[in-house]
Amino acid sequence: MTVSLAVPDVLVARAQAGDEAALEALFRAFETPVYNLVRRMLRRPEDAEDVLQETFLEVVRNIKQYRGEGHLWGWIRRIASTKALMRIRRDQVRQTESLDEEPGKPGMHIGANLDLERAFERLSETSRAVVWLHDVEGYTHEEIAEQMGKSVSFSKSQLARAHARLRRMLDEGAHA
Amino acid sequence: MMHCTMEDLGALQAGEASVWARRHITTCAACQAELEGLYQRIAQLKALPALRPPRDRWPAVKSALRAQRSRRRRTWGAWTGSLALAATIAAVLLMQPGTQSTAHAELTHVKQQSATLEDSLQRYDTDGRVLSGHAAAVVADLEDRISILDGTLVQREQSAQDAELLQLWQERVGLMRELMNARATRARYVGL
Ligand SMILES: [Zn+2]
Repeated sequence: MTVSLAVPDVLVARAQAGDEAALEALFRAFETPVYNLVRRMLRRPEDAEDVLQETFLEVVRNIKQYRGEGHLWGWIRRIASTKALMRIRRDQVRQTESLDEEPGKPGMHIGANLDLERAFERLSETSRAVVWLHDVEGYTHEEIAEQMGKSVSFSKSQLARAHARLRRMLDEGAHA
Repeated sequence: MMHCTMEDLGALQAGEASVWARRHITTCAACQAELEGLYQRIAQLKALPALRPPRDRWPAVKSALRAQRSRRRRTWGAWTGSLALAATIAAVLLMQPGTQSTAHAELTHVKQQSATLEDSLQRYDTDGRVLSGHAAAVVADLEDRISILDGTLVQREQSAQDAELLQLWQERVGLMRELMNARATRARYVGL
């Protein structure tokens, strides 16, 4: 997804002054890009909704500190990705990769008709996060490592492993 | 023969590969194909449509904010809320359709989208509103990028594969949507 958000300075100024309508306007402007970002990283839609809400509360809390360096979306995105990563780290179960016998997905198997989106969803949340932040959002490994509290080489090897897995899943899908 | 690992390919993509990998990729068709596959997967991920929140979370956010505020007001007595701004701004969200297997049908579809957007843009163009400095710069930048893309399309139209053309056309539709939204946002603001 390409996101291009044009938020007028006057709106940010009103939001900084605490104008509730301006805050709602900001929320409306960013709810989908924030939700999409964290939903791509997290497996459960409910988690993504929670992170959306948390993100926006932090945005409101800190909007006065936003000085307009860089784009507003870049600033909000960072808050959102940090929160999603925190959620992943909180729960080690999330590190596991999705298996064939995953409940709730009867009859789904690696193979026929597995497209990239489905394959991506089968990665662990850590892998999803690294792939999404690096390949789609354009974060550097340094930024990812910093946000995850891991090393740069961890980020690099996670990305390589995730791509190897995607490639394998898609390849198996193609030959099924 | 030794081939590039996925990490080598990632490094090649980032322009920080080893001397060996950089040399190897120039001569090995298998690794070239792997690298191309990597680029394609990334392009496809980028083209996935936006997932939208299933429920409106604003009421929950708003009540949390109001609770915070009433606490603060009691503390500082400083908050002056203005509810004057009645309109919400447009979320300028651009989604590109996911890449499907039948590239040709998709290509026809994406060209139609492009034509439809072109029509809508023309209507915006004739509304005669003056652009602010920033909006004008955004619009000019997008128009430049579309022009550059059109140049590439003219060059590639005859020789390129459907998949490549599809990507270019999708990119064009994406830029046009961006342009639409840049104009729509401005128009709504002017109308406030
Ligand atoms: Zn090779």
